Amino acid sequence: MHIQEQNLQQEVRTENGHTEGSRTEKAIAVDFKMVTFSLAGKDYGVDIMNVKEIAKASKFTYVPNAAPFLRGVYNLRGEIIPVIDFRIFFHLPAERKSEDSLENLLILRLEDHVYGVIVDSIDKVVGIHSSNIQPPHPIFGDINIKYIYGVVENQGRLYIILDVNRIFEQKEEEKPRLITETSNGTFFAAQTAALEHAVSETTPKASASDLEFIKETLFALKHFAATPLNEQWVASRFEEWKKIRNSNDLQLKNAEDADEFLASFYSPCNGRLWDEDYAEKVLSALPDLSAKTITVWNPGCGKGYESYSLACILKKRYKDARIKIWASDNDLLAVSSAPNMVFELEAVPALYHEFMVKGRYGYSFNQEIKDVILFEYHDMKNVNPFTDLDMIMARDVLSFLDPNEQTKILNDFSEKLKARGLVLVGHHEVLPEDDWTRLGTEPVSLYMYNS
Amino acid sequence: MRVEYINPFVEAAFNVLKEVLNTDIKRGELYLKSTTMPVLGVAALVGLAGDVEGRVMFDMTKQTALAVASTMNGEQLSSLDELAKATITELANMITAQAVTKLHDLGFRFDLTPPALFTGDNMEVSDHEVEALIVPMETPQGKIEINVAIRERA
Amino acid sequence: MKTKQDFPSINEREPDGLKPDGTPFRVLVVDDSMFVAKQIGQILTSEGYEVAATAADGQEGVEKYKELFPNIDLVTMDITMPKMDGITALEHIMNFDKNAKVVMISALGKQDLVKKSLLLGAKNYIVKPLDRKKVLERIAQVLGKTSTA
Repeated sequence: MHIQEQNLQQEVRTENGHTEGSRTEKAIAVDFKMVTFSLAGKDYGVDIMNVKEIAKASKFTYVPNAAPFLRGVYNLRGEIIPVIDFRIFFHLPAERKSEDSLENLLILRLEDHVYGVIVDSIDKVVGIHSSNIQPPHPIFGDINIKYIYGVVENQGRLYIILDVNRIFEQKEEEKPRLITETSNGTFFAAQTAALEHAVSETTPKASASDLEFIKETLFALKHFAATPLNEQWVASRFEEWKKIRNSNDLQLKNAEDADEFLASFYSPCNGRLWDEDYAEKVLSALPDLSAKTITVWNPGCGKGYESYSLACILKKRYKDARIKIWASDNDLLAVSSAPNMVFELEAVPALYHEFMVKGRYGYSFNQEIKDVILFEYHDMKNVNPFTDLDMIMARDVLSFLDPNEQTKILNDFSEKLKARGLVLVGHHEVLPEDDWTRLGTEPVSLYMYNS
Repeated sequence: MRVEYINPFVEAAFNVLKEVLNTDIKRGELYLKSTTMPVLGVAALVGLAGDVEGRVMFDMTKQTALAVASTMNGEQLSSLDELAKATITELANMITAQAVTKLHDLGFRFDLTPPALFTGDNMEVSDHEVEALIVPMETPQGKIEINVAIRERA
Repeated sequence: MKTKQDFPSINEREPDGLKPDGTPFRVLVVDDSMFVAKQIGQILTSEGYEVAATAADGQEGVEKYKELFPNIDLVTMDITMPKMDGITALEHIMNFDKNAKVVMISALGKQDLVKKSLLLGAKNYIVKPLDRKKVLERIAQVLGKTSTA
C-alpha cells in the first residue's frame, strides 16, 4: 500500500531527475577554458577569462633600473603595458632571442591592469571541467607552489594552471588602519607607472626624479596621490626620508616600504576611538552652531571608530541639537562590522564611558549614540543624495583618491554643505585658502567653507 | 545602502534560488555601481517603499531566464512565453518578499509592489541619483544579477 | 507535456482531495501569477482536489466566491495583487460568508500580516516557495481531515 505509493513517487522523481540529469550532462563537459602555452618544455595554462589577446612582438622599450624579468614596456595600440618574461620570473632556462625576433606574448587583463607575458610558445585553448583540476603538489612545478592554481590532465598532456591573480598581486601585510579607498596596486604597476613616466618625458634632474618616482610608487602601491592637498607633508617627509635611507636606497620597492613612508601621514587615533587629548582638541575647534539638527557626512569611515568618536563629541558640544551622522565606506567588510562593535571597557578612553552600555559580549555604545549614526556601504565617487550638510568628516580620505577625483569631490563637498559648513580633513591635508578658512590648529584640520 | 539591509537580500536570494532550483548556488563578490546599467536581456523589477524608496532588479540573459523557468516548472519551456515570464516574475517576488520579511524582523519597515518584467535587447536602466548594490549569483542555469538601488526616506 | 503530477495511486489510502462521499473538494485559487496558480493547481489536482476556478486579483476572487457560493470548499489567497490585495479580499469574503475557509499563500512572511489575516478569519498561512507536502498537509488540516504520513 504505502510501499506502492513510495515506488510510484520514486518513479516520478527519477523521471524528473532524468530530464534534469541529461540536461546537466551536456553542461558537465566544459566549464573552464584555458589558454595553454609552454615554458621550458612544460605545459601551462591560464584561465581564458584573464587573457585579453595573443600577440607576437619584438621591440619592447627597455628601461634601466627595472627588475630582470621586466623586459620593458610595449605600446599595445596606444596603451603602455609592462612586458614580463615569465621564464625569467620563474627562474626557468630561457633562450634569448635576438633583438629583432618576435617573442610570443600573452596579453593578460587583471582587474584594471593589462600585462604582456612572454612565453616560449602558445598552444591552443583547452576546455575542461573544473572538477578535474587537482590541487598543486610541490613535485609538479619548478615554480613556487603559491602561483599554481592546480593541475589538470587533458588528452594525455599535463597542464599546470597558473594563478595569475596571485602572480600579479603583492600581498599587503599591513593595511592602513583607517581603511578608506584601498587599492590592489601591484609591484608591476609601480614599475609601469615609473616606466611610463620615463617613456613619455625627457629625463628630469636626479633628485627631483627620485621624488617623482616615490610619488608614483605611492600611488601604484597604496593609491596615495600626491597633490596640492598634501604636498607640504610629502615634501617634508621626503627630506626626512633622505636622512633615514642612504641615497641609493631611496626608492620604495614594495608595500612595506610604502607603508613606512606613509606612516607619519595619518591623522591621530587612526583606526581607533579618539583619545582624550585629540577629542578635546576637536571639541574646542568646533564653532557654535545654533541649528536644531546637525547633519554630518563621514565618507571613508572605515570600521567606524571615528564615527562613534565624532558622535560622542558632537553630543557633548551641541547638547540641545539632534545629531545625524551618515557614515560610509566602500570597504564592505570594514563598514558592515561597524553597527555592532563591541569593546572592553578598559580599552576605551574614559570620556566615552557615559555613552556605553554593557551587553552580553562586552560594552557597546548605547542606543542613543547608535541611533545617531547610519552606516552605509557606499562609494563616495558615486552619486549620493546628501545635501544641506552641516559638516563633512573625511580624514585621510581625499589623499587616496585619483587626483582628478580629489578636485571633483572637493567641489562636491562645497556644494553639499550649508553656508559656512565645516569640513574636517586629515592631519596633513590642507584645503585651498581661497575657498576655505582654517578653524582648527594642529592637528585638527577643520575648515569652514567661505560661501 | 545601509549595511543592515545587505545581508537580508543576499540571504534571501541564496535561500530562494537554492530551494526553487534545487541545486548549489554560488554568490559572487558584492560591488557598487552608479552609472547607466546595461540589462542582460530579461529584467524583473520590484518596487520598494516604506523606510526606504527604490527598487530591486533581477537581471539575467534570455537563456538563463528560460533555463530557470524550465527548472521551476519541471518541464523544458521552448520560449519565453507568458508562463515563463510569470515564473521569473514570481522568482523576483519571492526573493524580495523574503528579504523584506527578514528586514521586518530586524525592525525595518519595507513594502513591496507587484513585480514588472522587462525583456528586450540592448536595454539600459538608468536611475537618477541612486547608487546600486550588485549581488551576482551563479547558478547552473547561468548568472543572475540582483541589483538593489534604494535610499533612506529623509 | 511533463508535469509533476502523481499517477493515481492504486492503494487503499484515500486522496485527501476527496470528500467522504467520493466527490472532490472544490477550491478557488486566487493569485495574480500564472505560474503560482499553475503550481498550486498541480499540487491540488495531484491529490484529488478540484480547482473550481482561479482569479487573478482580489476583486475577481471575491466576485467568483460569491458567484460559486456555496460550492467552494476552500480558497487559497495570495496577498500582493493589483486592484485589491489579499487581505482586503479576505475581509470581504469573510463578511459575505463567515464560514468561509481561506488559506493565505504568500511570499511575504511578516508577523503582522500573518496575525492580521488570522484575526480576520483566515484558517492558515503558507509562505512561498511552496513545498508540496506542506501545502497538502495544511489544506487537509483546514478541511478537517487528519493528515496521512
